[in-house]
Amino acid sequence: MEIPRRLWQALDERLQLQPLIEFAADKEVPQHRYSWAYYFGGLTLFFLVVQVVTGILLLLYYRPTSEAAFESVQFIVARVPFGWLIRSIHSWSANLMVLAAVAHMVSVFLLGAYAKPRELTWWSGIALVGVAFGFGFSGYLLPWNELSFFATRIGTDMVSKVPLIGHWLLTFLRGGEEVTGATLTRFFGLHVAVLPMITAALIGLHLALIQRQGMHVPERLAEEARRRRPLRFIPNFVLREAIVWLAGLAALAALAAFLPWELGAKADPFAPAPAGIKPEWYFLFMFETLKLLPAHVLGIEGELVGLVAFTLAGLAWFLIPVLDRGAAAGRRSRAVLIAGLVALAAVVLVTGLSLAGVLS
Amino acid sequence: MTRHFAVLAFLLGTAVAVGAATRPASVGAPGKHAVDTCTACHAELDDQRLRAPAAFAKIDADVHHLQGIGCAGCHGGDPTSEDPEAAMSPAAGFVGRFATRAIPEMCASCHANAAFMLRYGPNIPTDQLDQYRTSRHGQALTRGDTRIATCISCHGAHGVLPASDARSPVYPSRIVETCGHCHGDATLMQRYGVSGREPADYKRSVHYAALTQKNDLSAPTCNDCHGSHGATPPGVSSISNVCGSCHVTQRERFDLSPHKDAFAALEQPACETCHSNHAVVHPDDHWMGVGPDQVCGQCHSGNDAGAQAATAIAATLAASRAGLATATGRVDRVERAGMLMDEARVALEEAHQAYVLAQAEIHTVDPAAVGTQTDQVRTGFDAAGRLAADAEAEIRFRRTGLFVSLGVIALAMVALVLKVRQLER
Amino acid sequence: MTDDAAVQRSSRRSFVNWLLGTTVGATVAAALYPVFRFVIPPEVAEAPVNRVLAVRLSELSPNSGKVFRFGAKPGIVVRTAGGDVRAFAATCTHLNCTVQYRPDFQHIWCACHNGHYDLQGKNIEGPPPRPLETFRVDVAGDDVYVTRGA
Repeated sequence: MEIPRRLWQALDERLQLQPLIEFAADKEVPQHRYSWAYYFGGLTLFFLVVQVVTGILLLLYYRPTSEAAFESVQFIVARVPFGWLIRSIHSWSANLMVLAAVAHMVSVFLLGAYAKPRELTWWSGIALVGVAFGFGFSGYLLPWNELSFFATRIGTDMVSKVPLIGHWLLTFLRGGEEVTGATLTRFFGLHVAVLPMITAALIGLHLALIQRQGMHVPERLAEEARRRRPLRFIPNFVLREAIVWLAGLAALAALAAFLPWELGAKADPFAPAPAGIKPEWYFLFMFETLKLLPAHVLGIEGELVGLVAFTLAGLAWFLIPVLDRGAAAGRRSRAVLIAGLVALAAVVLVTGLSLAGVLS
Repeated sequence: MTRHFAVLAFLLGTAVAVGAATRPASVGAPGKHAVDTCTACHAELDDQRLRAPAAFAKIDADVHHLQGIGCAGCHGGDPTSEDPEAAMSPAAGFVGRFATRAIPEMCASCHANAAFMLRYGPNIPTDQLDQYRTSRHGQALTRGDTRIATCISCHGAHGVLPASDARSPVYPSRIVETCGHCHGDATLMQRYGVSGREPADYKRSVHYAALTQKNDLSAPTCNDCHGSHGATPPGVSSISNVCGSCHVTQRERFDLSPHKDAFAALEQPACETCHSNHAVVHPDDHWMGVGPDQVCGQCHSGNDAGAQAATAIAATLAASRAGLATATGRVDRVERAGMLMDEARVALEEAHQAYVLAQAEIHTVDPAAVGTQTDQVRTGFDAAGRLAADAEAEIRFRRTGLFVSLGVIALAMVALVLKVRQLER
Repeated sequence: MTDDAAVQRSSRRSFVNWLLGTTVGATVAAALYPVFRFVIPPEVAEAPVNRVLAVRLSELSPNSGKVFRFGAKPGIVVRTAGGDVRAFAATCTHLNCTVQYRPDFQHIWCACHNGHYDLQGKNIEGPPPRPLETFRVDVAGDDVYVTRGA
């Protein structure tokens, strides 16, 4: 006990850590009927940390070229001790992270936690969801198998529909006209360097804001929050959060062992696309909606209309703190809430129908 | 006077003979498209039968025209004259419609002339007429039967294309239809003691499937076994020569077996006895045995040496099949569970190959020979089975590891809950 | 609180603390163990991609051939009577049996249906419809490396 104490003392004298300790010791988490939603953010962070760790481990063996990528993943899964585990955890944790992020975002929306003064937190959070989708899209190509090759081709085809700069965007993303080894290199760079940097910055901002501003309590639950004793962050909330994180870890282990992520067949750019190519589940709502649109709407290409519509919807979602200015004063906009719920219901419905095979 | 006549006749005869040996001047230079007046007139005629041949001259759908041999090259006459009387005058050698009996000789006047055919290629066969005369078709024609196939029956008279051209009636995948025009007509064939079912039987065969579905032009059709021009059913003793020209492995083993001499003594057509001649379908391992639907039972029964050999061979093959199927199923299952089984697939492939070789050994009718190969099959599927067992053990290890980790995590969660409750008491 | 209750509470607390420390420690160990095993490289250090060490030159006499494994597929390396080393895919293009070298024919042969390939890999007799795929051969000292096109 003596050495740690002396170490602590040495650090404190130089860094003045005491105010930080007091802040952490005094931090509290309000309790009300929906305070269980507070765990979603931390869970997302947990899955992100799992991704970073397993991602770095995979980097020890992965090769980002079209000649070697598939074989290197095969090598990891078949020859490297516990490679099967690391790889499957990385693939599953990606999905669970997106799921947790979406749950977190939806609960924040429903609780109205985007209201002033927390607009920046909302905006950095939406940006983080976008970055998470970027991680998912770029990472999906890296095993260079049939499914990922064609999913990437279809996915990047969409950007060419953007007016004026569409083709430039396409070649920028693909590193050329077609999906090739150049695309793989580019996506790899995005996945392991660019997006992680952006994530670090955004998360830093996001967490700093939360520490600065504390947890939001919806107006209608303020009474209950006052009545019930708030939890001390350390150790009570942290211990509970550890339970949730361990449950997440258990889920990952079970998924990796019972539903290992498949390797598939190596991508063959000259083979025809296999029937029924679909993107990952979190892109399905866009994919299916765009497929349902007619070829032309009022003379404009249907897919462009869809793209514009999604962009506008995304923008509206981003600007919710502005659209619902009354929320800060306790007067939440009914319209915004209903609109948001309808949009969410539509997304869930389309995704569900697609997964169930009802939508092709 | 008589002497002069004799000399004149002799000279004339020689001239005719020489004229027959070398071609008349109505044959153009090879490679230069034939030019004549026949086409222009005939293309305008009302009678379809007289108009149709002209079409082949115009659309380059005839190899003779392409090589400078026009209408006059076969029909004679004067191809430069626009006057029908002069163009089609018998004095100029014109023959309108050839008698059936004259056709083979007419075609052979060029095609049997080796020196002449050299103009059109270095290795063009010139033995067609000789072959034809040995064939059933040729013999019937000599006897006076004119309902028989001649050159034009298969190759066409106008619009003749090389056999390598896919539009030709003698292109490999079209031959069964060409022969089938007559040989598929039961009424006609009965006159010759032939069933007329042969083309239909052939179409059920693996050879026909290979030709038409896999586009494997090396697969045999009518002319590959019967001969193109010397069309004759292979004799009993030569059937294994015919089949064995491709199926060398099986033929070698048959020759080593007791069947070779036994079949010859019984005048049994070797391969055909078990495999049939036209409806050659994919052999089934279940054919081995002396049961009612099994081929060995045609001659063998009860407990004779042949029956014992058949039963032994059937048994060892069945055991190999079963072992291979079991091992393959196991490897499939662990692959679906996420394991990579490349080595096992290699072992299964080697086992499968040994099985193919075992099936070839059947023709020795020697259980020991078959057994040598089925032992290799066993080695292969045993190896695959061991690898599958290792993979299954690995899967069990992973599942056990998972349950242990889940247990540890659960305990940790319990400990956390206890700690929380303790803190908040 | 009586002394007994206090002692009880204190011993339960230390039990809970012990349980917490042990189980969390076990969880951390269970998570770190695979990570440690993962980072130590396996025996075969590289993903075998397109290049294998097929055979030792000293084990391949002239007019002989040897079948080797290229991933999951067989390959055949042949040393001609003149000493030249060549390599091909050993999967027969007819029905996928594995071919072999026949010193008596001095070329490649397939036992299943009597297919023959010359020393360029070209199908010269029998049912095979296509030549064998050719691989690149590099001889470094006693090692014969075979590379297939990416």
